[in-house]
Amino acid sequence: MTQTTLLSEDQRDCLQEISNVAMGQAGDHLARLLDSFVILSVPHVAILTPAEIAMAVQAIDEDSVSGICQGFIGGGIAGEAMLLFNDTSFVDLAKLMKFEEKLNTLSERELLIDSTNILVGALLRGIAEQLDIEFSFGPPAIMGQHQELDKVLMSKNARWNRTLVIEVNYKIEGKNVQCDLLLVITESSLPRLFGKIACLLD
Amino acid sequence: MTKLSNNMQMTNDLRWIMDIVQNVDVGLVLLDKNYDIQLWNSFMQNHSALYAEDVIGQNLFKCFSEIDEKWFNRKVESIYLLKNSAFTTWEQRPYLFRFNNYRPITGRAEFMYQNSTFIPIQSLTGEITSICLIVYDVTEQAVNNLELAAANDKLERISKTDGLTGLLDRKAWEYQLTNEFYRLQRYQEECSLIIFDIDHFKKVNDSYGHSAGDEVIKYVAKITQQCIRKTDFTGRYGGEKYVILLPHTAVSAAEILAERIRKKIESATISYEGLSIKITVSFGLSQYNDSLKSATAWIDSADKALYISKENGRNQVSLFTHAPA
Repeated sequence: MTQTTLLSEDQRDCLQEISNVAMGQAGDHLARLLDSFVILSVPHVAILTPAEIAMAVQAIDEDSVSGICQGFIGGGIAGEAMLLFNDTSFVDLAKLMKFEEKLNTLSERELLIDSTNILVGALLRGIAEQLDIEFSFGPPAIMGQHQELDKVLMSKNARWNRTLVIEVNYKIEGKNVQCDLLLVITESSLPRLFGKIACLLD
Repeated sequence: MTKLSNNMQMTNDLRWIMDIVQNVDVGLVLLDKNYDIQLWNSFMQNHSALYAEDVIGQNLFKCFSEIDEKWFNRKVESIYLLKNSAFTTWEQRPYLFRFNNYRPITGRAEFMYQNSTFIPIQSLTGEITSICLIVYDVTEQAVNNLELAAANDKLERISKTDGLTGLLDRKAWEYQLTNEFYRLQRYQEECSLIIFDIDHFKKVNDSYGHSAGDEVIKYVAKITQQCIRKTDFTGRYGGEKYVILLPHTAVSAAEILAERIRKKIESATISYEGLSIKITVSFGLSQYNDSLKSATAWIDSADKALYISKENGRNQVSLFTHAPA
């Protein structure tokens, strides 16, 4: 499958629009939940290879960037959301999440997992609504805890070649919290997704 | 007639749904907005030893004091607002409900490790009226993971340790030294290095045999470990040569430590298979200085001081003096 046949101009525009709408809703919900203004970038829709995603993941080093993954599936569409927190202060994130436990390695991990769940959930709910499907979610997992992700992605046995990735950037106004969210859709669910989009395009 | 059979059909459907809910091998708990328990399936009854009639209508936090109300509230708040699910995993929180291990023979944990999922339950109007907790028993997986992590830790420790003395081996110690050296280049702090070896060790081996020699090496390591602080790094540098890295320590304090070790060893008699062995040790000390170009240069400076001790008759402590910059 070549890039040109993987995603047409119309499909890209449509996905961009769906993500835009979902982001607007997510921003609204998050603002109410977090009592803060959430600055969201324009979503970026792209076709990426595992190696290209691995490059994003390689930027993660234990100290400054944390990565968390969460799987989602529903209506024949599946994928994994990957959240990369960069330059994020745990103290600010804890305040934002009204997280009152003392911060240590363990509670910081719980904080990351809870934040991921909320940010991913807010965005995917908007997308699912527009596609008229419902997603179920797995528990978020912190990268590096069980497997080194860049190695998994870089390995020759990656089970896919190119796939659709939607990238969004979140920033919280007045707080040292910012993150990139990558929605990586499985290659095998692309026909279904494009089927759904075709209905919207007509 | 059709209405009646429809009703019967529905009653049957409900029956098997309830049977599944009751017997499925995960915990299911339904909570209303006040956190009063509405459903408590068999899994929960069996593991908590509380029957449905004991807890239904009761408040969750009153029944289970192990659940932190504030934490739970925060978790649930986002579910009501975003209509999404929430999760807890055993790595962050070993359990939601504390259930004791129930398998006396093959149970390897004190309690049940749990993952849990909180899902919103909507009414017909789309409003969220209650929360369902799904509790998974992940004890096997958790214990396996923890054991694997412990085994890896142990392997890592073994790979850094000198087998005979239990001190850091040369590679592991040099790694500490290099790290400390880079740190010292950035932050102006005092830090000292001690290098010492056993005087005329070859004679010990020649007169008493190699296993007696090993015993002497172990003995010196033991005395050294008794004298140092937890924050110091002691390594076996090779053969009968030892090193100590003392962070936050001026050479004057390092000298006191070296003297203490020297006197202890001088006055000791090592007994081994009926033999009484007396030994002495010589020391070279060097404090970190900006003029040092590398960690190796630092070791060399301490080595030079050790050489002076040897030249001057052994069983003594010498300090390396850095040339003024």
